[in-house]
This record gives sequence, structure tokens and C-alpha cells, in this order.
Amino acid sequence: MSDSHDSPDFLQYLIRLFYMVGGVLVAGTLITVLIDVLFHMPLPMASFIGLSIALVKAGFVVAIFMHYKWDKKLIMITGTMVLTFIFFAGMMGLIMWTEGDVPRLDRAEVHVSWVVAAALLGLVLPASFTFLTIKLLSQPAPVEAAVPKAKRVAKKKKR
Amino acid sequence: MEIPYTVKPRPDTGLYNGKLGIWLFLASEVMLFGALFSSYVLLRVGAEPGTWSMGLMNITVGAGNTMVLIASSMFVVLAWAELKQGNLSGPWLKPRNWGYTNWKWLTIACAVLFLAVKWSYEWPQKFKHYDIWLNDAAVLHDSFKKGYHETASHSSDKGTKGVSVKEYVEGFYTTRYFKEPSDGSDGSKAKFKDAWDSGTLALSGHINGYEEAMIDVQVGQWDANSKPGVTRDEAKAAVIAAGGDAKQALDGVGLVFPKLDYDKAKRMEYLLKQAGFKVNLSVADYEKVEAHPWFWRTPRVNEDIGGQPRVRSIVLGLDHSHIQDEAGNEVHQEIEIETRHISRLSAYEPKHSTFFGIYYTITGLHAAHVFGGIIVMLYNMLPIGLAMWHKDRERFTNRIETFGLFWHFVDLVWIFLFPILYIL
Repeated sequence: MSDSHDSPDFLQYLIRLFYMVGGVLVAGTLITVLIDVLFHMPLPMASFIGLSIALVKAGFVVAIFMHYKWDKKLIMITGTMVLTFIFFAGMMGLIMWTEGDVPRLDRAEVHVSWVVAAALLGLVLPASFTFLTIKLLSQPAPVEAAVPKAKRVAKKKKR
Repeated sequence: MEIPYTVKPRPDTGLYNGKLGIWLFLASEVMLFGALFSSYVLLRVGAEPGTWSMGLMNITVGAGNTMVLIASSMFVVLAWAELKQGNLSGPWLKPRNWGYTNWKWLTIACAVLFLAVKWSYEWPQKFKHYDIWLNDAAVLHDSFKKGYHETASHSSDKGTKGVSVKEYVEGFYTTRYFKEPSDGSDGSKAKFKDAWDSGTLALSGHINGYEEAMIDVQVGQWDANSKPGVTRDEAKAAVIAAGGDAKQALDGVGLVFPKLDYDKAKRMEYLLKQAGFKVNLSVADYEKVEAHPWFWRTPRVNEDIGGQPRVRSIVLGLDHSHIQDEAGNEVHQEIEIETRHISRLSAYEPKHSTFFGIYYTITGLHAAHVFGGIIVMLYNMLPIGLAMWHKDRERFTNRIETFGLFWHFVDLVWIFLFPILYIL
């Protein structure tokens, strides 16, 4: 968290927030259990509801407990996580495609273009991941970084 | 040497180095757990109906453990907030004045509780819970009838007084195995009917006792050539050590050690064979044992001893059966299964099925993370870790923040694991 948020008042506000999020998480768990016990749903429906609640809970944990809400402007964190998820989603996509491409008795074969597209995606995703990571990490050296900040202020004043 | 940027954010990244490091680590963790999650999903979707035995997860324990982990996640962030305000520790009796150490001990307590429940309840419970598949549909139906006749006829679950045994079995089997109505709501019923007719359903419960072989070990001829290097005297010594009369044995008269239990008989067989004797094992009698064996597998039960199985029959306390014993307590109906009817027997161990394989993989990896977290937390509570606080407060606070990030991630993983493993 950046230094501007270290005031005692803000910390008190944060602590209240932490308790609230704790309550939300407990409530989410209870709701999940209740839904499972009370209703019998088909699997897709149950997955959708269960995972949606989990997603909301996870969102609160990341945003408040991990103070991502105040860190999100930091490109190093956001960039890392977004790139990880893109890479991961791509890998998953590939797996799903291969899985879909396994011929089964009760299913028609997919068109060959899908397989080619999946293979291309498998090349493009890791390549773009590597490229973006290198680009992110090769930023100006720390010593010079103080100077552009001053420049920016100067520019603003001009306007 | 001064380590740079432990407190001040590095200008180009905007973060102190430790925090960037932990986020990169978390990114790699996302990949690790993500791979396992997606494996789970693919396996679950690809599983044949009736093979995904998740309906037996104890959702109460699972939800309880989730709460414990959520609480620990909240405590760890409160510990950090107290450090940020400069409170290292406070009196236990005044929760309003609690500092870092108080919240941190609570976090550790929660983490230990979580592991304790897994280690001493959830997993061991499964290791002594058995599924038994039979090789004869008629015997299976007979066993079901014996096991559930009384429960089903008194069943008050459905409002009516009594259902047929088949209906009763269908009731709990479909919630365990056929949770997904794959093709309309009648799909699971059809699948159950197939499984019932072909006898592929399993009897599940706890093994409360068994009949184990008492083995006669018969010493046969001594052959000087079978084990070159073993002298006559050594062979004699082996028989005497086993408790027999050496003269008789070496004269070729069959010496019998009667009614030994399995372990002794096997050890003796090995010793005598090493000394160059021919050994013959045969089952003299069967002995009833009242015990709850762990880690039993089909080959152990069916092991051939002179043409007879090692275990003749098994007493199985059936799940989902409720009867009253003499004292009026509710107990499980016990049925006896002859081992010659058993085609497969397995505890709920990783080998049992794909579900349990990936269940133990994921929960085990998660538990390993919790365990690692406990070690780091303890380090940060001990004088060696707290030395940093006395040297550089902000740096120590940052250290706790990065640990907190890791701990929240572990909590996050469980948040997704809970619905996937226990509910879907």
C-alpha cells in the first residue's frame, strides 16, 4: 500500500472493512452450504451458483485483504496477474480443444481448421506472454526514474 | 551490505521488492493450482456417471474448515494492521488492545486446527471406510436385502412408512454417485437400474471384524542342494529357533507348527526356506477377529494359503443402515460377506478411484501450503524473527504484509476448493 494511506484514520477504516469482509466470507460459505442442502440442482446449475459465490468471496479477499483495491494502479502487480491469467486461460483453452478433438463414437469430428487454430494459439500465447513480460521488466533504471517524475510535474504546470 | 528497497518502493515498479517478489510467486502458484483445478474439472466432466463418488464428502466438516480458514485469513490481516499502528503485543484479556502477537497466535491456532481436522479426522476417516464390489449380482442383492431390510421398512424419511430395499438403496446411491442427472432427471434412475441389475454397485461401510486363517506350517524335506552354502547344522539351528525338533525335521518327518497367525506363519516359512527346507502352509481353522483393519486391499484378503483364502469372511457395518441394539443405541446393521464373492475391496484411499486420487492430490498440496505458512508464522513470532521489528519496524511490517499476501492466497485456493470438492 502506498504511503499516503498510512494515517491512523485510514487504518481504523481498514480494520472495520476487514471485519466486514470476514462477515461476507462467512455468509458466502453458509449460503453455499444452504443452497446445496436445500435444493437439488443439475450439475451445470450447481457449478454456476457455487463457483459464482466462490468468485465473489475471492474478489473480496483479493480486493480488501490483499489490499489490491489500493494497489491496482501498480502495473507490476496487475500486469503480472493479468498476464498469468491470459497465459493460463490459453493453456486451458488448448487442453479443452485437444479434449474436444478426441474422436468419440457419439460425436462428429471437428473441422480441421479448429485444430490448426488451437495449435497456432498454443504458439502465440506463450510468445506474447514472454514478449510482454520482457517489455514490462525492462523499464528505466531506478536512478533515472526520479527525474521523469519531476518532469511530469513540470509539464502539468505548463498546461 | 544494505539490501535496497525493503521499505521504500522502488521508483520504477512502485513497490518494495519483497511485495513484487511475493506477487510473482503467487502468479506461479496460480499456475500450479490452476493446473490441478482444471485437471479436476476435466476429469469430473469426463467421468462416466456412477464413478464420481463425491456425495460422501462430509459437508459440515468442510464448511467448518472453510470458516476456520476464513477467520485465520482475517486475523492475519488484523495482525498487520496492528503492526502498522505500532502495536506489537497487548494483554490477552483486553481484545481492544490486542497487538500483532495476539492476532498472529490466533492465526496459528486456526491454521493448526485446520490441519488437525484434516489429519486426524477427514483423511483417517476415509482410510478405514471401505467399498466392496462383489462378483455375483445375486449375492449383492441378497446382501442389500439383509443389510437394509430393517432400515428401509422403518424409514420415515419419505413420510411413508417403509420403502422397498431397492428404493432405499437408490435413494442414497443416486446422491453419492449419480448426482448429475445427465440426460433429464430420469437419467440417474436409469443408470442406477443398470448398475443394480448388473451388480456393479458397491457395498460401503466399516469392516468391524473378519475371520482370519490359523495356519499350520509343515516342515518338509531338507534339500542340501536347494540352498548351497547352508550347512546341516545351520538348518538344524533354524528349525530349533523356530521352536521345533531338529532331528525329526532333518530325518524327513513332517514337523507341524500348528495354528499360527498369519504374520508368524509367514516369517517361519521364510526362515525355513532360507535354511533349505520345503515348507507347506495350510489353513487349519479360521479365527474370528474383532478389529478395524486399515489399508486392506483385495490381494491381501484373497491371498491363497494352501488353496484357501487368508480371510474367509468380513463383517461389514453398512452405511445408511440404522438399527437399534439391545441398549437402544443406534448402530449400523452388520452383514457377513464371504471373501470368495469379493471382486474388489478398497478403502477410500487414492487408489480407490479417480475422484479420491485427485482429491488427495489437491487437498494434500493445499495442506502442505498451510503447513509451510505455520512454519513462517512461528518464525515471525520467535525472538529471531522479532529482532527485525526492533531493528527496523517498517521492514518487519512489510515482511508481515508479504506473508499475509501468501496466506490470503492459500485461503483463496480453499474458497474455490470447497464448492468444487464438497458440493459439485
